[in-house]
This record gives sequence, C-alpha cells and structure tokens, in this order.
Amino acid sequence: MATPVSVLRLPKGPDPNSRGFDPRSPRFIALCRTSICTSAASEADPEQLQREQHARSVLRESFLRCLLSMTDKKVQFHMHEKVKVAATFGASDIDVLNFQVSNLHTPIGVQKEALIRCQDVISFTFDA
Amino acid sequence: MQDDWSLLGPLQWIRYVNKRVTVTAGKDEERRGWLLTVDPVSASLVLVDFREDGGTSVHVVMGHAVEEVQVLEEADEEMAERLRTSFLPSSSCSLDPEELRRRRGGVRSWLQKNRVPVEEEGDELKVAEVLTIRAPYGPEDCCSSNQIILDRIQRLIQNLIQTDP
Repeated sequence: MATPVSVLRLPKGPDPNSRGFDPRSPRFIALCRTSICTSAASEADPEQLQREQHARSVLRESFLRCLLSMTDKKVQFHMHEKVKVAATFGASDIDVLNFQVSNLHTPIGVQKEALIRCQDVISFTFDA
Repeated sequence: MQDDWSLLGPLQWIRYVNKRVTVTAGKDEERRGWLLTVDPVSASLVLVDFREDGGTSVHVVMGHAVEEVQVLEEADEEMAERLRTSFLPSSSCSLDPEELRRRRGGVRSWLQKNRVPVEEEGDELKVAEVLTIRAPYGPEDCCSSNQIILDRIQRLIQNLIQTDP
C-alpha cells in the first residue's frame, strides 16, 4: 500500500530574461540581497560616490581574477562544526551564493558534481 | 575593531589591501596572510601566503563569517608588486608593432566580413561604441559591459583563430 508523500515545493525558478531568482521569493529575500548599497555619505556627494565606485571596481576585478585562477584547482573548504571537505573548484555565481565543484570528497563518499552553499562555508584554501 | 565587516563598504575595505592581517572567522578559525582584495559583493577576504618552499597558498574567508580583522604590518613596495601581479593573466603583450598591426587588420576585416561595425582607435578596435578590443586582439582581450555583445564578438574571434591560426 503506497503512502502519500507530501509535495516539496521548490522556490520559483529564475525567469528567462534575468539573472536570478524572483526578487519577491522568500529565498531571494533571505539569501540574495545582491548589491550592497552605496554608503549614505556617497549618495549625497557625487565625488565621494565616484571614489567609492572606483574602489569597488578595483576590489571586484582582483576578486574575479582570483576566482578565475581557482578554476580546476583542488580546494579545501572549511565549514561550520569543523567540517573539512575537498573538491575541484568549477565556478561561482555572481552574487557568491553558490560554488559549483566536482569530485567533492565528503565523509560519506565522493560526490561527482555538487553545489556548495556559500553560507555554509567559513573559508577555503587553495595553492595558486 | 569594527562592528560589522560586511557593512564597512569599499572605501574602508580598500584600506586593508596590501596589509598583512589576521582574520578571525566562525567560532575559532584564524587565518593570516597578505590581504589581496575584498569582494565588494560578498565582503569575502582573499589572503595570500607566500610559503618558504616557493609556493603560494590562498585563503578566502567568506564575508559572512568574519568576526575580526587585525592589521599586523604593511607591505613594502616589493611585496605590493608581488601581490599585484599574483593573479594577472600571464600572457602579457610581447609582440612587435608590425605583428600587432597585422593581427589588428585581420580581426578588423574578419569582423567587417561578419557585418559587425568596427572602427580603429589608436591601437584599439571599437565595436559599435560598446566594446573595445585591445592588443593582442584575442577573445580574452575584448572588454564590454554588454554580456551578449561580448559573447558574440568573442565567439567570432575564436572562429577566426580556429580557421586561420
């Protein structure tokens, strides 16, 4: 006799023209406040805004270059409760919410492909 | 030292760049290294550690887990340069002007053949005012804020390289 199983509802998926989840979905509100707002001082002063945006772009560019150089490298992830896992890094989404990795070595076995939720990660290490 | 690392903002973060720092994260994790950059989106720190055996280890501490950042020392010029170049693409431009001119002409006529509006501006190529191709005019040298145009032009140049290496 089959027992009925409750339906698990997934959050509304990305809309085809955009780059992420529905901005009104609970998942989005909880996890994806994508852009960090400009500071109050910068909003009032255009020169300050210019400086802030310049700093932002310099920082972001070298972060993206770092992510690029990490592709296909062995990465050690340090997660909460002292969990350590190793995997081959693939990619990150633009908001740095998920990492795509291959050959994730977990305590119960190797997962061929996986997404790691960044909220669960404290830090990660690789050899450049 | 600071209330909340992830709320500091780019102008504060950039002041930590090129400094040796200790970052406390999570419950009892501590990481040390030269701060290369802070991602302005996730506030994550990139720490570089040049090991004695010549290798380089990189630690990335996620912004949400950061408890405290302490500055230990500032980088001298040599270290700052080493940090700056640590993730730059290795193939820097080393072609002679003649070869560059030939490549520029090749890419330009290939784009025109594909009905893409392209203009020469100095030693750069400009596509429809929104995309710039710098020397040595490969797919990785295209620069644009429009992802779709960037993707198309990069593919076109890729095709050119495949047919005529």
